[in-house]
Amino acid sequence: MVLGSALSAAAKQAEQLRKDGNIYFKKDRFGAAIDAYTEAITLCPNVPVYWTNRALCHRKRNDWSKVEEDCRRAIQLDHSSVKAHYMLGLALLKKKELDEGVKELQKALDLGRGANPKGYMVDEIWQELAKAKYLLWEDASSKRSWELQSLKEACETALREKYFLDDQPEDFLDEGSIAHMKQLEALRQVFRKAGEADVPAVVPDYLCCKITLDIFRDPVITPSGVTYERAVILEHLQKVGKFDPITREPLDQSQLFPNLAIKEAVQAYLDKHGWAYKMD
Amino acid sequence: MTSSSAHPRKALSKIACNRLQKELVEWQVNPPTGFKHKVTDNLQRWIIDVNGAPGTLYANETYQLQVDFPEHYPMEAPQVIFIPTAPLHPHIYSNGHICLVSNTMDSMNQNICVICLMKKMSFSSFSDILYDSWSPAMTVNSICISILSMLSSSTAKQRPADNDQYVKNCRNGRSPKETRWWFHDDKV
Repeated sequence: MVLGSALSAAAKQAEQLRKDGNIYFKKDRFGAAIDAYTEAITLCPNVPVYWTNRALCHRKRNDWSKVEEDCRRAIQLDHSSVKAHYMLGLALLKKKELDEGVKELQKALDLGRGANPKGYMVDEIWQELAKAKYLLWEDASSKRSWELQSLKEACETALREKYFLDDQPEDFLDEGSIAHMKQLEALRQVFRKAGEADVPAVVPDYLCCKITLDIFRDPVITPSGVTYERAVILEHLQKVGKFDPITREPLDQSQLFPNLAIKEAVQAYLDKHGWAYKMD
Repeated sequence: MTSSSAHPRKALSKIACNRLQKELVEWQVNPPTGFKHKVTDNLQRWIIDVNGAPGTLYANETYQLQVDFPEHYPMEAPQVIFIPTAPLHPHIYSNGHICLVSNTMDSMNQNICVICLMKKMSFSSFSDILYDSWSPAMTVNSICISILSMLSSSTAKQRPADNDQYVKNCRNGRSPKETRWWFHDDKV
């Protein structure tokens, strides 16, 4: 049928244009790549890859509003496009829309892990997500610190007034000032405790992989009952041997299952201790 | 598992760097007893002072370990050797190469390694953790404990039977990881 063959001719041409665009991209000729992808889009506007490829070029040129446009279009065509959600997330972060950006990055991460947990994409998305989450925490925690500090000072003032100490020399020790010292110390303890969660510390062992020694991102459990970081245990099985690294029991990829409880525990910990998002 | 000689060494991968930084922090908080890490800028090569445990043949003696980490640590085992003068031990060659054998079948050795217990391994397979039986769950800390255990369980201060031949063989700077080991389990 004439229409059918015209359509498939267009599709073929679009594919060729995509290939051309890819070659330009590899040579860092982003303008030329954009032109090629644009032509491909004109011919076949419903192929999500053309839109995400073009978005990638816009990203290289830091043209974030165009990145956002092209990614949104790609998502309309394919809800599960990892690259589209990822770059949309980055574009939103650039616009300082942190919450929306983080949501898109999280979506990209989940989709990426489903497709290829060991891929470089998953790691890159995680790095960006962790950076954004860390900034969100930094912002929120400095507000909290400041509020806590103001409140603490107000309380200390009130305590001094309670003991009528404003009029007395500092080193005047009597029952009243001793009682005051005690309560002051207790007050400081209370405030220290209140601000504890925001003080960077060591992540508990049980939330860390025994191979990466880092907090879990995508934990899986083996039949021996040991939990590892998914990407790393897969690499171990491939490069080192088909055994559980700690118990040495035989182990195959098919025996790994997501450890959902630990995943939730890690998320809860990170929600409370956002400083742990910091990657060095 | 193939391992290349230590020279020339490729730089540490990102994963190796992250992991080693974590191990270093943990070491500073919780160093293994009898060991001291000499602080340098070089994350890829650790120099560690070893103190012989009290009540053993090596009490009050100090030796030095050199640990070199490959690009793909912890997927690949580090190279661990003693810097000469190496301790006199049936499984340590005079050039510092170690044949990490644990004669834990010896009932006198109470230093049963925590790692062994965790791994529920048969003790004879503990022999070559630095070479064929490496696992990425092992750390510098656990290697040090194994080495101290090996030293402490020694009943004689002597060189391995094939010391001279082995050292001659290694003269061109061969890594101990390239050597094929005859494990001395049955002779101990």
